[in-house]
Amino acid sequence: MQFNRIRNFVPRGTGVAPPFVVAICDDFSNMELIAKERDRLLQRTARFLGLSGTIITLISLCFPGVVPLNNLVATIPLLLILTLCHFMVARSRPTLWAALGIAAGIAALAVVRLPFDQPPSASLGTAIAPLGAAGIACFALVLVSSVPRVLLIIIGAAVTTGLVQFATVHTGILSPTALAIILGWVLSSVLGYWLSASVPRAARRIYSIGKAHRAERQASETEAQRRQGARLLHDTVLATLTLLAHSGVGVAPEALRQQASEDARLLRQLRLGATPTPEASGPYNLTPVEETPLGTTLESVKQRFGRMGLEVSWHGTGQVLLPSDVLDAFLLSLAECLENVRRHSGVTQAHVTITDDATTVRAMVTDSGVGFNLEGIDDDKFGFRESVIGRLREVGGNARLFSSPGSGTTVVLEVPK
Amino acid sequence: MSSFLRPDENTLGVIFGRRNKGGPPGVAKALRQASARGATLGTGYLGVGAGVLSAIQALYGLSLFASQWSLYPDPWTAALAWVVYIVAFVAALITVSVRGERLPLWLFIVYLVALAAVVSLDFFAIWPLHDIGAYATASISAGFGLMIVVTLRRGREVLAAAGVLGLAFLAAIVMDSHLDAATFPSQLNTLALATLPTALAVYIVRGFRRMVQQELDRVLVQSTVSAPRFAVGMLASEELARLDLAAEDLLESVATGRTKLKLDPKTASVAASLATELRLHLIEGRRETWLYHAVSESEMLGKAVTLSDKGSLAGLLDPGQRDGLLSSVWLLMSDTRKQNVTRTLSLALGPVTPTAERLENNRIIVPIVITTTDVPRNRVDPAIWASISRVGRYSDSTEKSSLRVDIECLVDNPADQ
Repeated sequence: MQFNRIRNFVPRGTGVAPPFVVAICDDFSNMELIAKERDRLLQRTARFLGLSGTIITLISLCFPGVVPLNNLVATIPLLLILTLCHFMVARSRPTLWAALGIAAGIAALAVVRLPFDQPPSASLGTAIAPLGAAGIACFALVLVSSVPRVLLIIIGAAVTTGLVQFATVHTGILSPTALAIILGWVLSSVLGYWLSASVPRAARRIYSIGKAHRAERQASETEAQRRQGARLLHDTVLATLTLLAHSGVGVAPEALRQQASEDARLLRQLRLGATPTPEASGPYNLTPVEETPLGTTLESVKQRFGRMGLEVSWHGTGQVLLPSDVLDAFLLSLAECLENVRRHSGVTQAHVTITDDATTVRAMVTDSGVGFNLEGIDDDKFGFRESVIGRLREVGGNARLFSSPGSGTTVVLEVPK
Repeated sequence: MSSFLRPDENTLGVIFGRRNKGGPPGVAKALRQASARGATLGTGYLGVGAGVLSAIQALYGLSLFASQWSLYPDPWTAALAWVVYIVAFVAALITVSVRGERLPLWLFIVYLVALAAVVSLDFFAIWPLHDIGAYATASISAGFGLMIVVTLRRGREVLAAAGVLGLAFLAAIVMDSHLDAATFPSQLNTLALATLPTALAVYIVRGFRRMVQQELDRVLVQSTVSAPRFAVGMLASEELARLDLAAEDLLESVATGRTKLKLDPKTASVAASLATELRLHLIEGRRETWLYHAVSESEMLGKAVTLSDKGSLAGLLDPGQRDGLLSSVWLLMSDTRKQNVTRTLSLALGPVTPTAERLENNRIIVPIVITTTDVPRNRVDPAIWASISRVGRYSDSTEKSSLRVDIECLVDNPADQ
């Protein structure tokens, strides 16, 4: 790796512009960006048009008898320069390349007509018309943007028209072929003007869509937070869904139906914009008061798992008061651990020991099941990291996992009081 | 036996049975809708421009026709061709402005039939002159007339119509005209005039649409710069809402007895997967930063940008820095002159290393490394450097013949917030 250059535009400590400056910069840089895209579109269009016109003229000139061989040979280098300009105009310094292109094209129109004192061949004017009307006139596309450049268009149009007229066998003032050159310049200029004008129009609408979208994103963010915040509701819904996932076995159908109806009602309220806080879900108590006694809610967890075939024995403290968000995290993690025991341990009994001291409430979830090798299994398995550790860390707690194959599993959950 | 209908799309963005319904997976609905609005944005005005160009050309064609009136053996047939063309053209313009930005297929076909009639009448009128190139007028304008439908129908259809028109001209020229040095150029010019305008219009409209889409994509994604440090993103919020609705439906159908208890295995597994996804979504999203959402929501960045930000440090950047970073990544990806080159870019943030000196206001430095492929160092637009300098102090270098930028981004210490 080799450093070419060190740039030091922004000194340390002053790298932040005030918000209003940022807002102005936003609009400015937006407009600047799309203006660049517009220029690129114009330049590419000019290249397409210019190359087409030049190639058509070249084909005509190559037809035997249209132009003497010497003239053709002398014209080709000029046409090559013109083609180079067609390509370069889309790369850098469009005005310069456009001017050079117009000059090269005009030179080609003159050289092909040599010698001036002889009359031209019958079809020379027609053959070079595409060169004048498209090959050279295409530069009008990139030149319409300012008044001095429009002057360049007028000069280019006048000279090319004159030269094509000079190359045409025609008695009147302006032959139809020469008129076609003027038409080419006019169409090219109108096209350039119209394309330029349509970009800011589109840009204004894009930015208004962008503004609406920003508002939409904020609303959606708030909405997601509202839904994610409705934890108690989702707990009862999840409990019911889990029962349904087991086909509702072991629960009285009437009770389950009752609970499903209650949960569906809560979800409907959530959908319609309210933030329902269920007080009870079937037999479970979910009282969302500021501080909740742990004992009653633990009992509901025990009942829930009892229904699904896991017998949970409680030991230790029955009455601990916890702030409701901490309690949420604690109970959900506990339920998550018990769910893992139920699914993976192979036993139907688990022990939960609750202890507390001055600062911390601790739960130890123990089973005497198959256990597993901690080395072999990633924390991510069973969603342990997200569903247990993640939740507890959010409220300042932690979890630790102990297990080895054949000797059961122990999880220690800690939350601050 | 179960009357619960399985949802046709699960919440992780995968559609059961059918993939890619209504847009690429991973792009939120709100974004897709906004992009759809953008697809026609501004092209209406372009269509009017095409009408103006066609009208100018028709005036030229008409004056040419009038000046050649005495040369025609049967001028009235050619005049009829002009009448048909003008009627069809004006009718098409009126229809388009009344019916909006869409042309139904049958109307498109009617328009094509009218243009075919114009070409036939014109050819019929000039056939005895044995010089299609010199005397065709209305039939050339018919080629220009195709331009006005370019914004309303698929490019391929309009190009096919132009191709058929070109073939008709070619056949007529080969069968009717004597090709020699005097007549060849005008035949070639006529053939080009009949087909090239449409090709050019298709080229322009495609470029314009691509430009608008790209700008829209950028503007939509830019709304992430004002997001909080961690956000759920448009996608997560939408999916959570959909998930809640699916759960509501399932519970409702259980509650009303539409779904019989005990559940059949299929519905039970739906309940199980709903519960799993709901759990995932309730904890998901909070760990993702605006930058992650910006990259994953953008059609353009999503394909080419890889982001590694283990510490979620992007969330610490202030709006100005975010905007600078996003626009520089955007410019690096979009600023390609060759269209088929696929540039890739990877963004790595962090880790934060302690600095020797204590920074003002206890701020910290987040190192950001941008590595690219296929971005030559010497072809980087100056606007990109300006954007990068808004993120922080930087140095650029070349790695594997492509650009690499190391940025020192100064942010507020999250511990102080």
